Amino acid sequence: MLFLCGCSKEETLKPTDSFYVNDFADVISQSDESEILSKAVALNQKTTAQVVVVTVESIGAADPSEYALELGRDWGVGDKDADNGVVILLAEEERQIEIAVGYGLEGAIPDSKAGRIIDVYGLEYLKQDDFSKGITSIADAVINEVYIEYGITPDGYTPIDNISVTQNVSQSPLSVGVSWIIMFAVLFIFIMIFSRGGRSSFIFFPTFFGGPRGGRGGGFGGGSFGGFSGGGGSFGGGGAGRGF
Amino acid sequence: MKKKGLIITVSIIAVIVLIIGIFVGAYNGLVESREEVEESWSNVSVYLQRRADLIPNLVNSVEGYTDYEQETLTAVTEARNAFNNAGNVNDQIQASNQLESALDIWVNAVTEAYPELKADTQFTALNDELAGTENRIATARKDFNEDAREYNSDIKKFPKNIIAGIFGFESFDYFEAASGTETVPEVSFD
Repeated sequence: MLFLCGCSKEETLKPTDSFYVNDFADVISQSDESEILSKAVALNQKTTAQVVVVTVESIGAADPSEYALELGRDWGVGDKDADNGVVILLAEEERQIEIAVGYGLEGAIPDSKAGRIIDVYGLEYLKQDDFSKGITSIADAVINEVYIEYGITPDGYTPIDNISVTQNVSQSPLSVGVSWIIMFAVLFIFIMIFSRGGRSSFIFFPTFFGGPRGGRGGGFGGGSFGGFSGGGGSFGGGGAGRGF
Repeated sequence: MKKKGLIITVSIIAVIVLIIGIFVGAYNGLVESREEVEESWSNVSVYLQRRADLIPNLVNSVEGYTDYEQETLTAVTEARNAFNNAGNVNDQIQASNQLESALDIWVNAVTEAYPELKADTQFTALNDELAGTENRIATARKDFNEDAREYNSDIKKFPKNIIAGIFGFESFDYFEAASGTETVPEVSFD
């Protein structure tokens, strides 16, 4: 691959064998790590989506969103055809948290929602240096939001859109049509699933949906030796980040 | 004598067929890679348009807070108009680079003047959308430049340069980042 500027950065960050949790900065507790791992594996089995957590000590001068995106592309997070991968990156030294969303999940987790997930579920913990709790709770929320996209309601989780009513945001004409179609599809699936009775109703607040997906194929997943590996999903820059 | 003539004729025909084959292959290859570049350009322009579309929403979301940052806002509005009126790709690139830096300045100005904006969910949501769109532009731009570079070097190489000359394949301009952002280091794990 060629890059615009000559500053080639020979960094190779390879996923661990557990693939879904890569605690390079060693900030996640053992029990949280296995909690994230088991949830991510279950999600992958049920939906093919992949949510990958990465912590690093430092990202140097790199832009966190670009760093997370390159990780996602390089590791092939998400299914090759569905591009349904998410990378949650924590850079310890820079005190940055970033959620990078693959092309295929930009509708489920638009940038504003990614930002809100961090604000609502993670920022408090992260600010108090409780990285383990913060990142686990963010990963949990992301996994649950992906479940919702696939028409599965996770137990005991309130969709982020239902938390503290945000003002209705007007949508850009570019994505209005698509977002309504997706919303109705999700609603339809919900109704199908819950038609036997259980929960009463779900309220959705429309937010922005990501732009159209690009046609670029992802890289191949890192070599795995009995562990888990990427499915070849690709990323286009969706997601959000925060300093803490 | 007769046999020798036949051999010569056959060889000449064979060489001509071979040359035609090479040229057809080269032509088709060029068409394909040009289409690839055009496709990656269309990704870029979709996101550029989306950024321009987001601006009015963002501006409206801070209406309650500000009459002040008028000067920086005017620069944004002007750049946005220039972008929407851009006639060709190069104008569009230039205008959108201007828009990017004007937006940056304005957003920084309002968030500095009104720290409480950070707690405003609507502003935060729109700002996230804007930041995400910037990321998408950056990614699409990089992908476009890569494809364009491949194509541009293709049309300069023999024998494709001959085909390119005959059929008028023109090189693409690269989409360089707005000034001030090109110092951001590239991240690569390859």
